[in-house]
Amino acid sequence: MTILTNRRGLLQAAGGIAAAGLPLPAFAQGAAPPKPDRIVVNASGGGMATNLRRAYFVEFERLHGIRVVDTSPVDFGKLRAMVASGNPEWTVTEIGGQDAERAKELNLLEPIDTSIVDLSRYPAVGRHSHVFVGSAYSTALGYRSDVFRDGSHPKGWAEFWDVRRFPGARSLRNHPVDNLEFALLADGVPMDQIYPIDMDRAFRKLDQIRPHIAVWWTTGAQPAQMLVDREVVLATGWNGRFFELSRRNAPVGTEFAQGSLKSSAWGIPRGTRNAYWGQQLLQVMTNPRLQAMYATELSYAGLHPDTASFVAEDIRPLLPTAPANLERQFWLNVGWWTENGARAQERWNRWMLQRG
Amino acid sequence: MSSPGDSRRTIARRRETALFLLAVPALLLLGIIFAWPVLRLLAMSVEDGTLANFEKATLDELYLYVLFDSVKIAAMVMAICLVVAYPVAFWLSRAGRWGVALGMFALLLPFWTSVLVRTYAWLVLLGRNGVVNRWLRDAGLIEAPLPLLHNTSGVLIGMVHVLLPYMVFPIYASLLRIDPDLSRAAEGLGAPAWRSFLRVTFPLSLPGVSAGCALVFVLSLGFFITPALLGGGRVIMVSMLIEQQVREFLDWPFAAALSTVLLVATLAIYALIGRITRGARHA
Repeated sequence: MTILTNRRGLLQAAGGIAAAGLPLPAFAQGAAPPKPDRIVVNASGGGMATNLRRAYFVEFERLHGIRVVDTSPVDFGKLRAMVASGNPEWTVTEIGGQDAERAKELNLLEPIDTSIVDLSRYPAVGRHSHVFVGSAYSTALGYRSDVFRDGSHPKGWAEFWDVRRFPGARSLRNHPVDNLEFALLADGVPMDQIYPIDMDRAFRKLDQIRPHIAVWWTTGAQPAQMLVDREVVLATGWNGRFFELSRRNAPVGTEFAQGSLKSSAWGIPRGTRNAYWGQQLLQVMTNPRLQAMYATELSYAGLHPDTASFVAEDIRPLLPTAPANLERQFWLNVGWWTENGARAQERWNRWMLQRG
Repeated sequence: MSSPGDSRRTIARRRETALFLLAVPALLLLGIIFAWPVLRLLAMSVEDGTLANFEKATLDELYLYVLFDSVKIAAMVMAICLVVAYPVAFWLSRAGRWGVALGMFALLLPFWTSVLVRTYAWLVLLGRNGVVNRWLRDAGLIEAPLPLLHNTSGVLIGMVHVLLPYMVFPIYASLLRIDPDLSRAAEGLGAPAWRSFLRVTFPLSLPGVSAGCALVFVLSLGFFITPALLGGGRVIMVSMLIEQQVREFLDWPFAAALSTVLLVATLAIYALIGRITRGARHA
């Protein structure tokens, strides 16, 4: 399918160029619109911004001579407002995993031009009409490796729920996403039968763990910080945050068993001025050598099949996309959340407000 | 035939018109960047032609509870700020040049630091193994760590810290405006210092107290990141629910209804604060 549109796009482009009487190899330059002096790329900020720059933006600037200005944070409401205004400031933006589908439905994104962004070797999970998958990450379990020594930490959510065998304060995210899935897994639902989520069952299971949750975290930095401060001994979190701690030799380990995989989505806001150069930036981001560079710093690996081979061997087990880790995790069902997110969130708010 | 009174009135009216013209740019600016969006917001909340969004925002237990809780927290923050800020403002109004410089520096330094940074600093200070708890434990004052964080007390500490300057400055300004001869006269007439403060200085500083209370209260109601981080998920403010609707669910009409309810509640309480302090001044 993708290859087909790809070929068609190429043929059309080639046809147009032939009609204009230009030699074919010149088409990339010939079709390119004038260069702006800069494009604006919006992403999550923090350590990620530094590494996006190091891995991809520097390369883009070198290739095309266009400055990349980065902004943050990722904000779906703002994206919608920008597109509605008709003049989006962002050339390319990261989109929260759950919002990707909705962004496409609400017609907020330009289609990915596969004649520029080469996805031919990407796995199916990374090929979408309007969304580019920058990398994959996981909500995994972080634990104090000095409290749970020699692999004695909980593996999987049933053990996370088992406060007698694994005592200590815990932290979960203050959000229904992932937690409803984890609750069902803890209750014995197999990984391939999580969806559609049985909310009654999930909340009943959450009732059990609730008294042992010291903190319901809000920002990604919190679980990492709380593990370091020993505020808690077990916490869910983005695997990249724990990865950073492991690399700095903090006594924090990552358990991927029954982790929740998601892809980080990127898109080009509809109507943005330099959409063509946005496509070119995404093409730079498909480069497996650069993806490996990015993954080595943050553990968020891109989906190009060659990426892992460029990553140092001692880092590979910490990547959520390493084959051994991949098979122990599940992909978050974005479709279910797009449809049921508001209902689940409202129920979550009510549940959080119950006393006790 | 015009009497001298008439021409005086004409001059006064002319001066009024001139002053009004001076205010026009500011009024236009406010109208364009504030009043117009607020009206648009109101319109959005009834976009579907019904009051369903308002029904949900005002009758649903969840939203009512959260609104009530937010007002309660804002009132607590305001009260604590007032108790802490008044003595500081009083001291500042009587301090020498160096005292004022030092006090201002201490007040403004955190004011210029990002709220997020300050909130994270509190996480480090107040945690179970944080600086405060460790110090209290080492001093033998407590055995188990105090739950200072991830509950209402953490939220209050964080919010009071951020909002304190908004209370100190209006009170300080109104204290400065009081003629020092007044309390000297009271004391000359035999009033002890505490009575001269209670009967003369304090009532005259009420406009500042009122302004400070209103500022702190209104800002507290809209607080978002501090309660989210320091409350450990257990404290929910209306602003968090609005943010959820805007950013996550894109239900802008409902977010608009919630915002409108918050705005009305804020205005009502603002009016109430004004009335109470005015009443106290005339008592």
